[in-house]
Order: sequence, then structure tokens, then C-alpha cells
Amino acid sequence: MPTTDMIRFENVKKVYTGIESKSADIVALHNVNLSIQKGEFVFVLGHSGAGKSTFLKLILREEKATEGRVFVNGRDLSKIRQRDIPYLRRGLGVVFQDFRLIPSMTAYENVAFAMRVTNIPERQIKRRVPYVLSLVGLSGKAHSLPQELSGGEQQRIALARALVHSPPIIIADEPTGNIDPELSVEIMELLQAINSLGTTIVVVTHEHDLAARFKKRTILIDHGEVVDDGVSPYGKEAAYL
Amino acid sequence: MRLSSFKYLVRQGWHSMVSNRLMTLASIGVLVACLMITGVAVLLSVNVGSYVDYLETFNEIEFFIDDSAPADVVENLKLQLPLAQNVAFCEYISKAAAVEDMRGWLGENGDVMNDYAGEGNEQNPLPASFRISLTDVSDMANTVQRLQSMGAYAVPAQDGTAVTYNAFYRINSPTELSSTLVNLRRIVSYVGWGLVIVLGVVSVVVISNTIRLTVFARRKEINIMKFVGATNAFIRLPFFVEGMTVGAISALLATGIVGGAYYGLEQALLQPDALWLSEFTRCMLPFFEIIGPLAGGFLLFGISIGGIGCASSIRKHLKV
Repeated sequence: MPTTDMIRFENVKKVYTGIESKSADIVALHNVNLSIQKGEFVFVLGHSGAGKSTFLKLILREEKATEGRVFVNGRDLSKIRQRDIPYLRRGLGVVFQDFRLIPSMTAYENVAFAMRVTNIPERQIKRRVPYVLSLVGLSGKAHSLPQELSGGEQQRIALARALVHSPPIIIADEPTGNIDPELSVEIMELLQAINSLGTTIVVVTHEHDLAARFKKRTILIDHGEVVDDGVSPYGKEAAYL
Repeated sequence: MRLSSFKYLVRQGWHSMVSNRLMTLASIGVLVACLMITGVAVLLSVNVGSYVDYLETFNEIEFFIDDSAPADVVENLKLQLPLAQNVAFCEYISKAAAVEDMRGWLGENGDVMNDYAGEGNEQNPLPASFRISLTDVSDMANTVQRLQSMGAYAVPAQDGTAVTYNAFYRINSPTELSSTLVNLRRIVSYVGWGLVIVLGVVSVVVISNTIRLTVFARRKEINIMKFVGATNAFIRLPFFVEGMTVGAISALLATGIVGGAYYGLEQALLQPDALWLSEFTRCMLPFFEIIGPLAGGFLLFGISIGGIGCASSIRKHLKV
């Protein structure tokens, strides 16, 4: 694997076996081959049920590929040991559509939480968290609880939490799904700014307008297969969405 | 793990207990009840055991020697019986010593034995005997049979054959009492252990349910922890702290209640009104002897149950 490949899928297939013997197996991904280079900004586009979530789960090693191999950050996830998965995830910043902030914790605590649970000294946390909050423009809201913040601000805290470990890859799962269109652009611009510092960004979304607006590499997934891979906007994308 | 992280996790566990205080109190209540019943069963078992030990010291077997038994056979028995298997103590009581014993029992009427006193007194009707106590009372019947066979000796008959006699003409052995004591000890022990196991399972289920509720309430937090790269051990620790703290608090409360009750009972049995129970009081293990093992046992039991209950409830939520 070349050193510039941050994520690589080689003939990946993922099948969910039916829970009951009568229910059929579901092929979520089939024959997926792709690679994402260091410092790239990539949209993974597809409608609901296309296989985007499975794509993410494979990268996070929440699921294991049925066939083929997935490489993330130089690691072959088919060979990674269960106890090494947390260390893999420390190299991946994840942002979710529903923010996944802890309501009882302030913005500062939510970000610090990601450091505390990975055994980082308090001294370092006190230095790093204010810095990351300033990067996402929320220094003044450090002591606010999530419910006191707008959707955009909550997503920025989630982004700060993803950034706190300085991961080489940030994966954003529908990061603008729960926020207003104006704020969506704000979040995407923030991701672009992070990308300009060298971090690889993968944005999984079903919003083709958003992908089209930023003119970045777009991987189109449909029925579990990569049907197109290129710089958006282009014709095929509209045909599928 | 860093000390600051450890402190953070312990704080989290404590915070969770306080947040779910009603459920925590319910768990402590049920666990205290389980520990108390277990403790009472164990104390009952050890005290019955102690009483059985005491009764066993009276478990003496008497082998009466036939006056016609040859002196060399008796001398042999004096040498062989103390060395026989399962014999803890063996004392030879000569005919003259038996008279003296009888005189002692008769007290002020002991003079009636004057005519029979003295070694070699032909008028003495009392037999010589061996008084034997055993190491393992549960094997009394077999031991008696084996010792009795050691008294056998052969005398040549006129027709050239040999007639077998036994030096022991009577044996007094409390075989029934011994088997009753052994059975009693066994039953008490089985019931005690049965209670410990049943209540242990009940306690695990109770703690497990409490932790499951906490885990469910914090499932979002656990999910986030998994995605930011927390190890399973790190995620588990606050729940272990919670489970074990519930176990430890319950153990301390149960020790106070059961230990206090035991002390009260001990004091009550020492009162003059209760002297008729002196047989039991004598065998009762003193409070200061039981309180250490009781507290230690409760703590070990409570903390283990807390840990097991926690481990069994969190596994599902770690599969992310």
C-alpha cells in the first residue's frame, strides 16, 4: 500500500446474514475498489440504503468485510486484533449527523471527554481543548451545555471533539443533516479549512447539492456498488439521486 | 493507566451511583438481605459444627475384656490398640481401676466397693476394659468391627482343632449418636452452602440489573467513548467501581447488622437466666473470633458479586 493511501478498499464485499433462517442475506456492498489519498477531500454520495453507512462501518471497523480488504491509515482491517480497534479509532475523527454530544456536559467537557477516555493527562487536556474550541470558533461557548447551542454550534463542538486528537482522517457522516442550509455551508467551510491543513476529509452525505457546490472528488454509491468516482458536478450523479 | 484517569473513572462511577440513587439503594437493600441470610446460615453452620465437635469429645467406646482372656492376649492388645488406624486415644482400665472408678461414681456410698478393691482381688466382678476415642467419628462402625477382630485368639481343642474366642465380651459404642452427629453436620453444611450459592446467584442478578439500567442510561456515552477510541477496559471501569462499591457498602452494612446481632446473642446467653443453655454457650464461637472472617467474607462476597454482576451486564453494549 503506498504511503499516501489513507483509505483503500480492495474488492470489498459486505453481506449481512439474515437473522432468521428464512430471511435472505443482504448484500450491502459489492466489489468496491477505491482509494483515498492523504490530504484529499472526498464526498461519498448515495441515497438511503445505497451502502454509505456500511462503507463507514467498515472504515471504523464496526463491521468486518465479508470479502476483500480494507486499509485505513496503513492498517489492514481484516487482520487487526479486537483490542487494537480503539487505537485505530484514535486516528479517525468522526462527526455524526445527530452530533452525539453528552447533554449533561458543557462544550468544553464534551471535547475533553474524548481525551479523558483515551487516557491523556489532564495538563494536556487543559492546553488542547481551548485551542480546538477556538479553531471551530466556539471559545466563548466553552461553558455552555449542548441544549443551549444552535444545531450548527453543536456540530462544531462535535467537530472540535473529532479534531482534538489531531487525527489524519476526519469522517463526517451526514454532518449537515440536522442543521439549516446556511449553517451547512459554514460547517463545510470549516471542514475545508481543516482539510487545507493536510487532514484527509471524508464526508458521507445524500445531499448532492452540497457535493456539487464544493466541487470535490465524489464517490457515488448505488445498490452497494461504486457507480462513479470523479469531481462533482457531473451528469451521472443526478441520474441516481 | 494514569492516576488522573483512574481518579476520573472512579469519580464517574461514584457520580453514576448518586445519579441513580434509588436503584442503588434498592440494590444495596437486596444485597444486604442476601448477605445477612448467607451470613446467618454460615454462622449457624460453623456453630453447629463447633457443637458437634464438642459432642464428639464424649464419643468414647468401651471394649470390656473377658476375665478368661489370656494375659498375653491382653498385653498384646495394650500394645496394638493405641497404634490401630483411626484410634486417637486408648486407655487400659484394669479391674482394680474399674473398682476405683465405680467408687468415684458412687460418691459417699463408695465404701460398698471396699470388698472388691485391690489388684488380683478374686471377688471383683468388674471387667477390665479399653476406653478408646476415635479420630474420625464418622467411621465408627467400621473401626469398632476392626478393633473387635483384633481381640480374637485361638485355643487348641482336645480333638486337635482350634476354637476361636474373643477377648472382648462386650462393646459399648455410641454408633447411632455418632452417625446422627455426622449427618447433622453434613445437613447443616449442605444447607449453608446451598443458601450461599442460591443467594449468590440472586445477588448477581440484582446487581446485574442495576448496572444494566445504568449502562442503558449511559449507552450514548458508551457509544461515543467507543468511537473516540476508548478501550473496553476503560469503559468498564466506572461500572465496576459502581458494582463493587454497592457490594462493599452492602457488605459493611450486613457485617454491622449480623455482627451486632451475634454479639447481642452472645451477651444474652451469658446472662444468669440463660445458664441452662450453658452447653451451647460453651461451644459458641466468640464474637471477636467470628467478626473478622465475617467482615472479610462479606466484603469478598459483596465485591465479587458486584464485579460479576457488572461484567455480565455491560458486555452487550461494548460490541460497537
